[in-house]
Amino acid sequence: MKRSLIAALTFALTPWLSAQTTAITGGTIITVGAQGVIEKGTVLIRDGKIVAVGKDVQVPAGAVVIDASGRYVIPGIIDAHSHTAVDGSVNEGSDSVTAEVRVRDVIDNGDINIYRELAGGVTTINVLHGSANTIGGQNAVLKLRWGKSPEEMVFKEAPKGIKFALGENVKRSNFTIPGQQRRYPATRMGVEVVLRDAFSEARAYKAEWDAYDKAVKALPAKADKPAAPRRNLRMETLKEILEGKIDVHAHCYRADEILMLIRVADEFGFKIRTFQHVLEGYKVATEIAKHGAGGSTFSDWWAYKMEAHDAIPYNAAIMASHGVVVSLNSDSNELARRLYWEAAKAVKYGNVSEAEALKMVTLNPAIQLRVDKRVGSLEVGKDADVAIFSAHPFAPDTRVEMTLVDGNVLFDRAKDKGSREKVPAAAGGGQ
Amino acid sequence: MRRTAYAAVCCASLALDAAAADTVIKNARIVTVSGTVIERGSVVISGAKIAAIGADVATPAGATVIDATGKTVYPGLIDGLTTIGLVEIGQGAAGTVDTTETGDVNPHAKAWVALQPHSDLIPVARANGLTAVLSAPAGGLISGQSALIRLAGSTPDALVVKTPIAMHMVFPTGRPVVDFATAFTQEPELKTLEERLRERKRNQDKELGRLKNLLEEAKAYGAALDAAKTGKAAPKPDLPMEALAPAARGELPVVLRADAEDDIRAAVKFADERGLKLVIAGGLEAWRCAELLKQKNVAVLTNVERLPRKDSDPYDAPYANPAALYKAGVRFAIVSDDASQVRNLPFEAAMARAYGLPADAAIRAITLSPAEIFGVAARMGSLEVGKDANLFVATGDIMDHRSQVTQVFIDGVPQSLETRHTRLYEEFKGRP
Repeated sequence: MKRSLIAALTFALTPWLSAQTTAITGGTIITVGAQGVIEKGTVLIRDGKIVAVGKDVQVPAGAVVIDASGRYVIPGIIDAHSHTAVDGSVNEGSDSVTAEVRVRDVIDNGDINIYRELAGGVTTINVLHGSANTIGGQNAVLKLRWGKSPEEMVFKEAPKGIKFALGENVKRSNFTIPGQQRRYPATRMGVEVVLRDAFSEARAYKAEWDAYDKAVKALPAKADKPAAPRRNLRMETLKEILEGKIDVHAHCYRADEILMLIRVADEFGFKIRTFQHVLEGYKVATEIAKHGAGGSTFSDWWAYKMEAHDAIPYNAAIMASHGVVVSLNSDSNELARRLYWEAAKAVKYGNVSEAEALKMVTLNPAIQLRVDKRVGSLEVGKDADVAIFSAHPFAPDTRVEMTLVDGNVLFDRAKDKGSREKVPAAAGGGQ
Repeated sequence: MRRTAYAAVCCASLALDAAAADTVIKNARIVTVSGTVIERGSVVISGAKIAAIGADVATPAGATVIDATGKTVYPGLIDGLTTIGLVEIGQGAAGTVDTTETGDVNPHAKAWVALQPHSDLIPVARANGLTAVLSAPAGGLISGQSALIRLAGSTPDALVVKTPIAMHMVFPTGRPVVDFATAFTQEPELKTLEERLRERKRNQDKELGRLKNLLEEAKAYGAALDAAKTGKAAPKPDLPMEALAPAARGELPVVLRADAEDDIRAAVKFADERGLKLVIAGGLEAWRCAELLKQKNVAVLTNVERLPRKDSDPYDAPYANPAALYKAGVRFAIVSDDASQVRNLPFEAAMARAYGLPADAAIRAITLSPAEIFGVAARMGSLEVGKDANLFVATGDIMDHRSQVTQVFIDGVPQSLETRHTRLYEEFKGRP
């Protein structure tokens, strides 16, 4: 993957700062936290963390000052459903259960879409396996530390997660892959069977290991250990799901399959962390809330396939009013760049308050990914992941001017535009 | 579900049948698009037409009065490139897709013969201020002919405003098409850049040669048809050639889909050499050849919310594309190039505005500009006395995602704002 010349040039101008103090001053700060909205406030950053937020914050001498007068300062946007930075194919589609594969093994840190998303105010993404499989591969939550290695981009504190998928993609009802046999499942009935089959096997695997671990524990200190059960990476992963160590992010559309997955999860004693897409979530919002799952949906995509026929733009509002923690995601390198406007649509459709709507692309996805202690709002102690807008993020002429990750300015529109002068082919491209 | 849809449609046709009394929208901010914004004024609708607009307009006796204090009136939005009416569910329901005919030369395929007036997509688009769209076939080399349709009506004929609008074609790029039959099973052949460029040129020349021959043949066929009128023997029936002739002669606009700079330039050259009336669709890199487009008076139908074509492009190149065209004086319309997402047209314009397009030019790009490009500006696209009463009332700036549309009029008839989505919303919002 070649990196954009412009982005590379911009990056060259922005060294990583470790022990530095930065103050973002003068802007309207939408904290998405207990402090609400602060007019003409200051966000003070030290060592990549927010150390103060407020109206009367003393800016220490020597601090780098970012003047945000007339601008809006919000927490970095979080995309709970992304396939950005996946090198090559996003689906290990050879089998309907591939719990053993991991997205974090194939991170392309040079994907230009990382930079483009920074330019849309995005700072954290949940990179998921594709939806070809009932039980797909494991995800990678990334901080968009543009310029860093794949390992350094991984959000280390984010718990492990895995992709499940239900419905048309798993059934492969809309396409056939030449040369590949028709794969089980081909119906929504079969999807349920694949799940129950896999977790029945995993339960037996877990019992075997639990018995072994117990036996080993009971042995005297220096006694020989009995032969361990054979290790199976796929079952190992499912065992961790049963133990609640891996969060399940389940791609789904229709109400029936959402209820099905809740029942299967209940039967096997694990939880669904988020329903992804969940376009008919509004039909079973009570059940989703009762299960304790979050809903991560599109603002208004619909009718692109049969299972999206009943998708409505009021989905986020209805799920939220029923007590579901809702986020709005992109599932797209393009849509990811304007999630702030996706949030605004929740105001249009269903009268969600502006504060709650903004949460749907900041704090709520952070909660869903269990990284809300670190990101999702501008509060003391959290990572300095910040997006600075030219106007209110929902306004029709707003634009991201600057984006910081861990206190480092990784996107600066002014510098980006300046860099274009050095690349003749790019000149005239932006305004 | 179907039953409710039909019920709603029945209401709509009742409304159509009712003789429309005069309606006055009062105390509104009026964005006329063709003229200046009237900060507080009235629009009078009489029958299917706009009868009066202004700050001091008398309310006709017996008129229905809509108090639009704090609200804004706009001309109905026009989406200059969609497949509305030709597609219901894009994937997995082939029976609802009528956009692309078999074979790649279909000049005689006509959008207006296959329109579904009861599509759920129509009310959804209308509910956000859309009152007309271009419905166009897609794909192949020559896709077919488009229709400009109003988003109200119970029969295909009732939808149609003007046909044909243009002949739609896909400019042959010569770039390899991903072959799904082999993509998963065969390793791609290793080729040098030179080999790939040569291959591309060869493919492109071949396809352009075909297109050139088709256009020549159509011209000749048109000439033979003309000669037949003067008593000469009529040529054998050839429906594709008969359909293509007006485009080949430069009478009917040709909408050529092209995104890359070199393809746009080649398309302009191709059209220029043959006297085609060219409109570019897509135009992702039109900003790279804005001067040429201006010089050759080529219009562009472009959607804004796309990714840049190259990794090395400015991140905002597609967002800033309309601003670049505007600055260079190129005629352009902002389009959705979609079916189910047509309702988001004003937000495409908003993105262009955020990246340099003046607000008045942004609203023009989704109203008057497409009307001009399609030759219907005498009837629609702005709020002017005598024009069709296609307009809507919104709680604020229509390019602001938070604004609500409160009334839509098409040909003077108030439209239901109910959609498949509002019905499902009502059914489920209070479910315990």
